Amino acid sequence: MRILRIVLRVVVESFIALKQSGWSNWFVVSILATALVLFGFIMQVTLTLKSLVNSWGSQLEISVYLKDNCKPYPQAQEIGNLTGVEQVLVIPKEEAWQKMRKSFSVAYVENPLPNTLHVRLKSPIYVEKLVPILKAMPQVENIRYPLKVARIINQFRRFVEIGGLFVMLAMSAATLIVIGNTIQLVIQSKQREIEILSLMGVSHFYIKGPFILQGILYGASSALLASLLIAVVNINFQSYVQVQLAYLAPTLSNNLSFGLNPIYIMLFIFGITVGALGGALTSGRYIKL
Amino acid sequence: MILFQNVNKDYNGRPALINLNLHIGKGEFAFLVGPSGAGKSTLMRLLYREELPNSGQIFLGGVNLNKLPTFQVPRLRRRLGIIFQDYKLLPKQTVFNNVAYVLRALGVDEKTVERRVVSALSVVNIENKKDAFPTELSGGEQQRVGIARAIVNGPPVLLADEPTGNLDPATSLEIVQLLSEIAQRGTTVLIATHDEPIVNALRRRVISLNGGQIVSDVDSGVYELKGNS
Repeated sequence: MRILRIVLRVVVESFIALKQSGWSNWFVVSILATALVLFGFIMQVTLTLKSLVNSWGSQLEISVYLKDNCKPYPQAQEIGNLTGVEQVLVIPKEEAWQKMRKSFSVAYVENPLPNTLHVRLKSPIYVEKLVPILKAMPQVENIRYPLKVARIINQFRRFVEIGGLFVMLAMSAATLIVIGNTIQLVIQSKQREIEILSLMGVSHFYIKGPFILQGILYGASSALLASLLIAVVNINFQSYVQVQLAYLAPTLSNNLSFGLNPIYIMLFIFGITVGALGGALTSGRYIKL
Repeated sequence: MILFQNVNKDYNGRPALINLNLHIGKGEFAFLVGPSGAGKSTLMRLLYREELPNSGQIFLGGVNLNKLPTFQVPRLRRRLGIIFQDYKLLPKQTVFNNVAYVLRALGVDEKTVERRVVSALSVVNIENKKDAFPTELSGGEQQRVGIARAIVNGPPVLLADEPTGNLDPATSLEIVQLLSEIAQRGTTVLIATHDEPIVNALRRRVISLNGGQIVSDVDSGVYELKGNS
């Protein structure tokens, strides 16, 4: 009960500090919200690119040609159990031969085609892992796989991931600086009060807690504002973007995900974490108890 | 209650306290006198652990202050009541809230806060100003609020650093008599001052500091370092 009362007082002190900060709260929240909007859009672009890359990747196939004496279905089941395999499509040699004869006027000869398995992968990263396993199977005559394409896709994916991480780090640093500077100003304006509280024996948690909470409140309200802005922009422009993308890459746009929920969650986690960190680091640095 | 053993303190090589030995017992009332720069404020700051000595040991209520971890300093300060020359009141808080602040920070329930604050304000005879802000009070009244805040938590030791420095002689005497009454209730009171008339009027224990050393320690003494303040 006593601890609860202390925590409640810290919350009350935080709101008093926010009230005392006046217009500078709006200044901080607007700067932070701008940073978070940028962060949100960059994250959305990153996720969309990733989704696009995955969509390309999911269309990659390894074609496995089986030896004449091998039964295709049990072999397909064995390959289907391997890690990274999403689906195995069996093309029996009779079916392939019939299709071929329909499409081309082929002379009546004995069927020269092998039983074929089209192995679809969960991600392009599995191409290089699966190829040697498939090659080593005694029933497999030959395989064909788009290694070069898989490598390009993997490189692009990595670039998007590293780029996203770099942007996130840069935004974190910028946000930390803004929060830190604001809380530092509040600390400086309350220096005498902090000194008095310290001399009166008020606990370090009670003195520093409101500043950390202030950072959290800045982060949360900025994330809320940024989420609203991103939602408004998406509601108005998403259908347009989807139409344009469908026009540019009709086979890919169906698989793309535009889900915003992960972005909102990330904005809140990011805003609150950076806010708390900003408050903690600044109060730790500028409040000498 | 308060024990200094061979305490040395210097600031960038300039000595502030030299090999200081001092004992003040429970419930004692003592003046710490001396000219500016004698080491009075340094001694006070060492007692509320604002600073640490370069060498020697300081004990307060049996606790070795040198070995006290930083996170326990607030707890130590709550066992002390500290009174300052410039009162150090929170300007945006009422008299009541200034006195109640520490109790609330300790999570004391509001009913107990009310009871203890009203009691502390009545000891210093300022309960009628509980809703006023510090800027609306005279110097003497502000110092009374400072004393109420210092005693509200029932500390065994009261430290007053130049408590009458900003007050007229009549008010100064009232404030020191008030502190003397508080000491009679069993609280150890140490007052750092260079207010000669006050010290001479009360005839209590007088510890004289000069150049960082104790030059005299008399039970019913007077202010002896003339012309140095």
